[in-house]
Amino acid sequence: MSAVTKEKVTVPVTYVILAAIAAAGVVLGVIRLVRGLGPTTNLNSGYPWGMWIAFDVFTIPFSAVAFTMAAVVHIFNQEKYHGLSRLTVLAGFLGYLMVILVLIMDIGRWDQFYSVLMPWRWNLHSFMFEVAISITLYFGVLVLEMLSVVFEHSDAVVITWLKRLIVLVAAVGVLLSTVHQSSLGAVFVILRLRLHPLWWTPLLPLLFLTSALFTGFSVAVFLGIVTWRAMGQEAPMKLLQGLIRVIIVIQVIYLILKLGDLLVSGELGLIFGSGRFSLLFIAEMVVGVIVPLIIFASRARSSQAALIVATVGVVLGIAINRLSIAWFALAAPSEYSYMPYWMEWGITIAAICAAVLFYSAAVRYIPVLRKTVIEGAH
Amino acid sequence: MSKAVLVDLVRCMGCRACQVACKAWNDNPGDLTTICLGCYDNPPDFTGDTWSLIRFTEVEDESGQLHWVFTKRQCMHCEHPACVSACPVSALQKLSSGPVVYKAQNCIGCRYCMLACPFHVPRINWDEVLPPIKKCTFCADRQSAGLEPACVKACPTDALTYGERDELLAEARKRIAARPDKYVNHIYGEKEAGGTSWLYISPVPFTALGFPELDEEPIPELSEAIATYGTPSMLLGVAALLGGIYWLTKRRAEGMQERAKEK
Repeated sequence: MSAVTKEKVTVPVTYVILAAIAAAGVVLGVIRLVRGLGPTTNLNSGYPWGMWIAFDVFTIPFSAVAFTMAAVVHIFNQEKYHGLSRLTVLAGFLGYLMVILVLIMDIGRWDQFYSVLMPWRWNLHSFMFEVAISITLYFGVLVLEMLSVVFEHSDAVVITWLKRLIVLVAAVGVLLSTVHQSSLGAVFVILRLRLHPLWWTPLLPLLFLTSALFTGFSVAVFLGIVTWRAMGQEAPMKLLQGLIRVIIVIQVIYLILKLGDLLVSGELGLIFGSGRFSLLFIAEMVVGVIVPLIIFASRARSSQAALIVATVGVVLGIAINRLSIAWFALAAPSEYSYMPYWMEWGITIAAICAAVLFYSAAVRYIPVLRKTVIEGAH
Repeated sequence: MSKAVLVDLVRCMGCRACQVACKAWNDNPGDLTTICLGCYDNPPDFTGDTWSLIRFTEVEDESGQLHWVFTKRQCMHCEHPACVSACPVSALQKLSSGPVVYKAQNCIGCRYCMLACPFHVPRINWDEVLPPIKKCTFCADRQSAGLEPACVKACPTDALTYGERDELLAEARKRIAARPDKYVNHIYGEKEAGGTSWLYISPVPFTALGFPELDEEPIPELSEAIATYGTPSMLLGVAALLGGIYWLTKRRAEGMQERAKEK
């Protein structure tokens, strides 16, 4: 009882700040929708894509945490991860919610987004189409998975049916995710003339898929430690170690694909000879792959602090990678320049704050999630 | 047969009648003049209201002779347009008659076409609340009524010739062969990116005029191959893999349960 009252006193300060920023973001969002892109962004003809698209291209692999863990539980039948997967469904749901909200900010003709849902308008050659349709459908899957988590103990007919079909729902989610994580990379294949050769390769879809997988598992490890610690509990380290073995394998495959591709295309020299692009590339590889791999593969992995460093590194690395591909390394004619307008920053920061707030509040106040952390319920 | 325009840069005198005719036909207002130091282009680049633009370039050729070249630029109306391939909702279409046209009612405003275009052509008016894509339409409306494009109609020096693409290619070759001293031996748009509906012949190399150097492969070829073969095979492959893994791990889990019961 005392624990509950304690929380009620200490928590609101951060929650109020986060809620205020999120609310400001909603106001900015409305202004953006009614006034258009010109007065609310610094986008221009040379930089038709900017911070918001880059945010989405990063948040999609971050939110891979939901489908990777759903696959572990429902496809690989690793029942012991069921508890953790409740939290990763929540994280993925919030991640994709922000992706979609920011996407609506970014598309110029947001009033016609339904166009994507009209089969007679589909362009099956367009990877933008593949991404848009599978994200929309996958968000439906996440809603169902969220319902089955939140109402896990309900006897309502709908929920019983949902629970009976959950393996199928999860499988559809995994399928849609593998498609759109790789299609997101394929979006940049047609931009060969724009994207710097350090990042452009026909393997982009494969690189996006493998990096989404290890990012998803890394986010699961990160949440596993941070959520449990924030609730004053011991992190379920034994469970997390199982995931780390998987991360190592996928990161090694990624490293081989990425460097092997540069080797085969004779572009290895670009790693050191491309000025600021070299810096971005080296940063993404060292921070996101090499340092985490050393930690994951050594004894350091039994230390929670080291795992936090490693998983934050993975997320930072993937952020540098995706931001480079969708923004920094996309060439524009020299007479154009782009720095995000303060409203672009505002809406992006508000989306992140809203997601953190909802995640934290949901873990604290939704009984099933709270029990998962406090009692370690499966 | 598909229609095309041959632009003869030797004949163009830079009067911008085409630029004005384009605005008149499409009801596009003039852009505010911006100071463009060291250039005569006005406006300095395509805008949502300027779809046809004369570019002024001073080029010294190998013999040291100075050429002041006026280049009419607009959408090239590619034979295999990257913008059409990129558009998720089929808002951009290549007509068999030549023009790449746009249907605003499909468009969600993702601006992927703006990035995909190798010639950096599609634009939006950033100050519009729900901005449609703006670019040269090759006067598809005039063409369907049997008229030539407005810019061609306005050209006083016959620098622009409208006609069948293969006939214009033959005409271009004839002009180059007749005056090899006046033209470089290159028809830009014949093969670039798989060919374009707008063709250029020039007194100086095209790279000096800001035309991108493109190989003969259509820009969307690789991407479309991945979409056509990669996506379906991955869908099937992953579905089969998931099913297989589920079946195997489920059996193992059940086996373990049964063994536990027997004990």
